Amino acid sequence: MSEHIIKKDKPAQENSVKEEIVVSKNVFDYEELGFKCGIEIHQQLAGKKLFCNCPCQIRKDVPDFSIIRRLRASAGELGKVDKAALHEQQKSKIFEYLGYNDSTCLVEMDEEPPHPVNMVSIEAALIAAKLLNMKIVDSIQFMRKTVIDGSNTSGFQRTALIGYDGFVEVNGKKICVDTLCLEEDACQVIERKNDKDVYNLSRLGIPLIEIATAPDIRSPNECKEVAGHIGMLLRSTGKILRGIGTIRQDVNISIKGSSRIEIKGFQDIRSIPIVIDNEIKRQINLIKDAKISNKKIESEVRKAESDMSTSFLRPMPGADRMYPETDIETIDSSNIHVDKPLTLKEREQHYVKKYGLSNDLSALAVKYESKNEEGYTFEDDFNKYCSEYLSSSNIVSSILINVPEAEKKSGNKLNWFKIKDPLFTSVSSGNIASSSLPDVLFDVASSGEFKSEKYKQVDDSEIENIIEKIIVENPGANKGLIMGKVMSALKGKADGKKVMILLDLKLK
Amino acid sequence: MKEKNFVQGEKYKLELSNSSMHEGIFVFENNEFIYLKLNSGYNMGILKKNIKSCVNMDLEDKSHLLKESSSKLHANSHKSFFDSSNIISENTQFDKDSEIIILHTGGTIASKVDYSTGAVNAKFTPSEMISLFPELKDIAKIDSKLISNMPSDDLNFYHYNEMAKAIELALALKSIKGIILTQGTDTVHYTSSALSFMFENLPIPIVIVGAQRSSDRPSSDSALNLLSAAYFISKSKENNTNGVFICMHESSSDDSCVILPAHNVRKLHSTRRDAFKVISGGIFAKVNFENKSINFLHNNMQYEPATIKNKILKLFDPSIKVGIIRSRPGLLPEELKIYEKFDGLILEGTGLGHFPIDQFDESTKQNKEILKIIEEIASKKVACMTSQTVFGRINLNVYSPGRTLKDLGVLGHNLNMTTETAYIKLVWLLSNYSLDDTKKLYSKNLRGEILDRLENEDFL
Repeated sequence: MSEHIIKKDKPAQENSVKEEIVVSKNVFDYEELGFKCGIEIHQQLAGKKLFCNCPCQIRKDVPDFSIIRRLRASAGELGKVDKAALHEQQKSKIFEYLGYNDSTCLVEMDEEPPHPVNMVSIEAALIAAKLLNMKIVDSIQFMRKTVIDGSNTSGFQRTALIGYDGFVEVNGKKICVDTLCLEEDACQVIERKNDKDVYNLSRLGIPLIEIATAPDIRSPNECKEVAGHIGMLLRSTGKILRGIGTIRQDVNISIKGSSRIEIKGFQDIRSIPIVIDNEIKRQINLIKDAKISNKKIESEVRKAESDMSTSFLRPMPGADRMYPETDIETIDSSNIHVDKPLTLKEREQHYVKKYGLSNDLSALAVKYESKNEEGYTFEDDFNKYCSEYLSSSNIVSSILINVPEAEKKSGNKLNWFKIKDPLFTSVSSGNIASSSLPDVLFDVASSGEFKSEKYKQVDDSEIENIIEKIIVENPGANKGLIMGKVMSALKGKADGKKVMILLDLKLK
Repeated sequence: MKEKNFVQGEKYKLELSNSSMHEGIFVFENNEFIYLKLNSGYNMGILKKNIKSCVNMDLEDKSHLLKESSSKLHANSHKSFFDSSNIISENTQFDKDSEIIILHTGGTIASKVDYSTGAVNAKFTPSEMISLFPELKDIAKIDSKLISNMPSDDLNFYHYNEMAKAIELALALKSIKGIILTQGTDTVHYTSSALSFMFENLPIPIVIVGAQRSSDRPSSDSALNLLSAAYFISKSKENNTNGVFICMHESSSDDSCVILPAHNVRKLHSTRRDAFKVISGGIFAKVNFENKSINFLHNNMQYEPATIKNKILKLFDPSIKVGIIRSRPGLLPEELKIYEKFDGLILEGTGLGHFPIDQFDESTKQNKEILKIIEEIASKKVACMTSQTVFGRINLNVYSPGRTLKDLGVLGHNLNMTTETAYIKLVWLLSNYSLDDTKKLYSKNLRGEILDRLENEDFL
């Protein structure tokens, strides 16, 4: 198998030893194998939880309390008990839940019915659906999806269908996106023992967008690219949680002669192709064995391991595992209006085209915006402050480059959002030179205050006096040297272009 | 598209005006939307005016398997109401060797989602209960019957009599060790008081069980409550335990249940599993679900050992009218006025047992009228004081308004019954005794409802 190796930029979560991620080239003839693949993406949203007012904060510190629970399988809507649910009940486990007084409440404990749905999450889901070119259901009804592995205190996960029949375009190929659902995230498992599983309650209830593509993907690398593209679209909503574990991919694959396999728990999006290749390899061997023993290969859910192999998790859940969540009213989607935002990529191009940013600065600017939790956009500042004296590049580099530099050099934190308006207003009107922005910012960081008079441009006669003085003090010096000395004497209190014109006049 | 009649449980294929196609089982509809359960399991709400065309797949394909299961769903949902063999009547024969009889009145412990309304309704038949909780069979020989479907919020004294008559039938069984009564939780503490007063010298335990999470949910507390009640009963003989009890969760955890006394218990939380707490006195016993052990905490609270021979049943008179009035700043005389026509009144006072009966300025003139009405009821009928503090004893001697009420004949001084227990007791006394005897018996401990001592631990 031909492979090439890249270093992973962050150490793996589980051990601190630097791990190498192996990326495969397409090593099989996937068409010949009848390889089909669909992807399911789970993305956590920022803000408050879906059905209560607790913060979306995953905690690992010492819990305040713990409770013990047991779960029983219940008959599904049509009277059948779900296969996956039965599998869990046979284990007849006890579940222990660890909670925090200030960030988990009776709703997570299943001691109180859900509160009305967090409408910010509904809006985020609708925005995501628009970015995925989806149709929206007229009336949203939350369902209870039976999950009795203990990861939900209620024994079910609340989930609602929001969008359907969408698509994304990746490398010019159309991949259908079948559904977008909004659901509550489950508890995080802390420990699994024979008789007891321990869960942390803090993740339970975080709003989660679940996106499922059709099995339109035809190679492991394409799978990775689709996952990456959908991830970019989700970041474009500006409403997602960020960091390790906030986005999760489940991959469904099948090849001719085998059954559908779901792979969960990828550590890194870049590991997707090699894990799939390894699973294909396993499947090919299984098919060989099955031919000999005449056995059917079972459809199952498998876990992506850190060594790029997969391990058995549970049988594939059956279909009859949902019934309506009657504690929550249905939501008429026509009453909620959201606009389709630009994707991050479109936004970069927009800044280049409309505001004349360079490609690099534009990419930096958009990256900064997508990480900003207050929803800051450069566009607002461009529209407010850009003038003949202040360019969009000045604005972006001030915020992204000069501010951190000034803070580093001065050792002080700069209250940037407080001084932004008076500073940009002064520069925009020509009272302060844009070229002096780095110096001004350093000075503000050092002194802790912004006084616009301090950096006011000196008038032309004073510039002329300084030029004259420098020429006299440096007989025979060339124009460039004089210019440099004049500018440093002015300490940024005059615009360079203007000084150059005055110097030229003087030298004539 | 023209209005169409959708049939619940049948499969349809719809084309919408956005040119999408959807196939699913019709679940319910309202004025604007219809809801389909799609093959994926999700329900999808569709604006009726967005439906371009619609095909009933079941009519198209008669051999459709889903049709069969959906018609089964319909049959099941009505079974509990029409299968008469499961409903108690005078001629009911319990299984001859039964040790525990489960008597069923509906409620959260046995409920199912109603897909047409989206509500949770009591629907499981008693025999379905046993199949739901197979562990019951390892504890004792069980029989199970439905008394009738009685939503707990709608109960009245007629229903308590029906429960008592059903219990009478079960008590006649030679093999009987105890009875479990399942009920919607909201009024369990009224029922426990009612049954306790009705049965004097009850020879065995009757345990009322509810659930705060309906049994259609995997996380339901019904199994632990029901099984703990059964464990408790199975150990009752060796511990000489008899009387009426409530069995619910001890805490939020599924690891132990508390056996609470019949009286002075209250539902103190609208949603928690451990909503029921003893107000006066302590927990009777704890059932450890892990090792199935029973820890008896208040052995002094049980009755004298009784036999079936000296058991006495005194029912309620459903025509007796007793009211409850809660005092508060701004109470008006006209609110009390209507109770003059009643047989008795529970005054839920503030603090030690107070009502606004003094005039101290122009604005409090009407308090005199309140005093007059209380005097009228206390002298001609019967008026009993309880306290809205919930915890603690009434004392009408500490302040002068209390002394005034006591002198007028208001009962309740030095008692510690909750409003609920006092109310049930007064109705039961008026149903079975003269007014004079009622007044004497009200302040006497009959079934453990009045405690001489309140201990430090008997508070939150």
